[in-house]
Amino acid sequence: MKILIIGYGSPIRGDDALGPLVADRLEQDGVPADVAVIARHILTAELVADLAVVDQAIFLDAAVDLEPGAVRCQPLIPTTSPASSMAHFLDPRELLGWCAALYGHAPDSVLITGGGASFDYADYRLSPGGEMTLTAMLAQARRLIHAHVALSRSGAIL
Amino acid sequence: MSRTISIEPVTRIEGHARISLQLGDEGEVEDARFHLTQFRGFEKFCEGRPYREMPALTARTCGICPVSHLLASNKACDHLLSVSIPPTGEHLRRIMNLAQFTQSHALSFFHLSSPDLLFGWDADPATRNIFGVMREHPDLAKDGIRLRQIGQTIIEMLGGKKIHPTWVVPGGVNEPLTLEKRDAMLKLLPEGLEIARRTYDFFKTLVPKFKHEADHFGTLPTMFLSLVTPQGNLEHYDGLLRIKDAKGRIVEDMVPPEDYERIIGEAVEDFSYMKFPYYKPQGYPKGIYRVGPLARLNNAQACGTPYADVALAEFHMLQESGPIASSFHYHYARLVEIIYAIEMMERLLKDPTILDTRVRARARSNRAEGIGVSEAPRGTLIHHYRIDDEGLITWVNLIIATGHNNLAMNQAIRQVAEAYVDGKHLQEGMLNRVEAVIRCFDPCLSCASHAFGQMPLWIELKNASGQVIDTLTRSTECHR
Repeated sequence: MKILIIGYGSPIRGDDALGPLVADRLEQDGVPADVAVIARHILTAELVADLAVVDQAIFLDAAVDLEPGAVRCQPLIPTTSPASSMAHFLDPRELLGWCAALYGHAPDSVLITGGGASFDYADYRLSPGGEMTLTAMLAQARRLIHAHVALSRSGAIL
Repeated sequence: MSRTISIEPVTRIEGHARISLQLGDEGEVEDARFHLTQFRGFEKFCEGRPYREMPALTARTCGICPVSHLLASNKACDHLLSVSIPPTGEHLRRIMNLAQFTQSHALSFFHLSSPDLLFGWDADPATRNIFGVMREHPDLAKDGIRLRQIGQTIIEMLGGKKIHPTWVVPGGVNEPLTLEKRDAMLKLLPEGLEIARRTYDFFKTLVPKFKHEADHFGTLPTMFLSLVTPQGNLEHYDGLLRIKDAKGRIVEDMVPPEDYERIIGEAVEDFSYMKFPYYKPQGYPKGIYRVGPLARLNNAQACGTPYADVALAEFHMLQESGPIASSFHYHYARLVEIIYAIEMMERLLKDPTILDTRVRARARSNRAEGIGVSEAPRGTLIHHYRIDDEGLITWVNLIIATGHNNLAMNQAIRQVAEAYVDGKHLQEGMLNRVEAVIRCFDPCLSCASHAFGQMPLWIELKNASGQVIDTLTRSTECHR
């Protein structure tokens, strides 16, 4: 079972860097062989090809509507209705919609978002509240990875 | 009764833009304007920062093509250091730039403009979008994604997986290329070239269908500005400035980029936050010129790579004589440049010196003013810095590719509006054409722009007293 983790957000907008920083940390700490990790500023069209070859995708992003330290995990449903405000980058549901439309399937996907406290200028540096969120997001992502890996090893039909 | 049509937002863009059309008593278009309504101020807030931070700071100008700013900024810093960077360092920078051209042009053509080109401007917006393309032309949509993936992979192989690569540094690049990476990149390119050539051949079959659009989509008698090689050929990273006029006469040639202020002036208008650069000797606004793929191909005598040279010759045949005047043919030029970019990357990577380990010149700042100019996908990009004795930035001027095209975009909108907009009876296809002419330029407003398919357009016709007398909204259907 292949898993793709995509952390996204602006690295210079304070806690908006949560997505890429969690992705970087996961990669630094090591992930199972069938798990790939990508950090991006924004979600762009070529990621569709990466999604097309995995069974599970985990998106990581910062949230403005959660308290620092709080984490939300929600399933994503592919959409075929352009939802994002720009055409140069895409909403994760749009990426999945592109994937389904072009390649006939989209991976089961979840979005893990974590509350940010400050979104002012800061180069790959989180606020104290953001640091709390990073820890919580890491734990959530690792739980998901381990669950999927265990399920895969058990031979269960996914 | 005179009226104003306001199209806002023009597209789903982060840089907010609006188009206004002024109509006369009979509903005819009297004036058209393209308004950039968002202010960013990079030039101001960079003041006081150490000059070595500028590549990283200005790369954030654009989340889609940070490589362009990274290169122009580092070139300005090279100038501040007064160094000549090692040839291998320069070639590696070139490869990164060409990889970016590949992915940027692919997005513009395959995903932003193809719905109009494949289905027509009057097609139902419910199908005239990227999902329609995926449904009806899945192979073309996949080709676009694959080309972007190839470009992005090469950028990541060179710059690392960091979002904003710090691999390009003042004086060169901070790490030589390994044999393993070189071979991996070379392996990607044949497929990329095959896709690019296949798409180019396909697009050539579409062009005759769009004669009317080609004649009215910003077909303007402007000058063209771009970098060229010392031999007058296509150039994207370095070289010298050339300006050709609408008749093909070279009015400025072999101008060192450091002398750009001699030929380029900048004007401002109260209706937009985008500057209006112009050719100084002719004054404003007469000194209108265009930049980008169309200008580069119009200015280049040759590309210097086999398939791109054939395509360039065919490009010049789009018109009986002189530079290609129609902005519609930006699409064509983009495809030629993708072919060129892939061929040139292959050539550079196959040169054994690309593995040389001398890739960076080291120095402190040795002058107080630095200018860096390179070609971004959308046109000539200029970074100009002044620093104090401590190396802190005291003044910045950035002329972004899209800015050069500002005068032309305004004229192009007017031309399209005059040709297609009936002020007495608005129809969605009319508005789509007004937007589509902007898409030809592939503008990058603040971070990036463009849209495809169903865009949340809202248009109002107001009478002279500001009363709304007609509206048209485009979401899933038109409301009148």
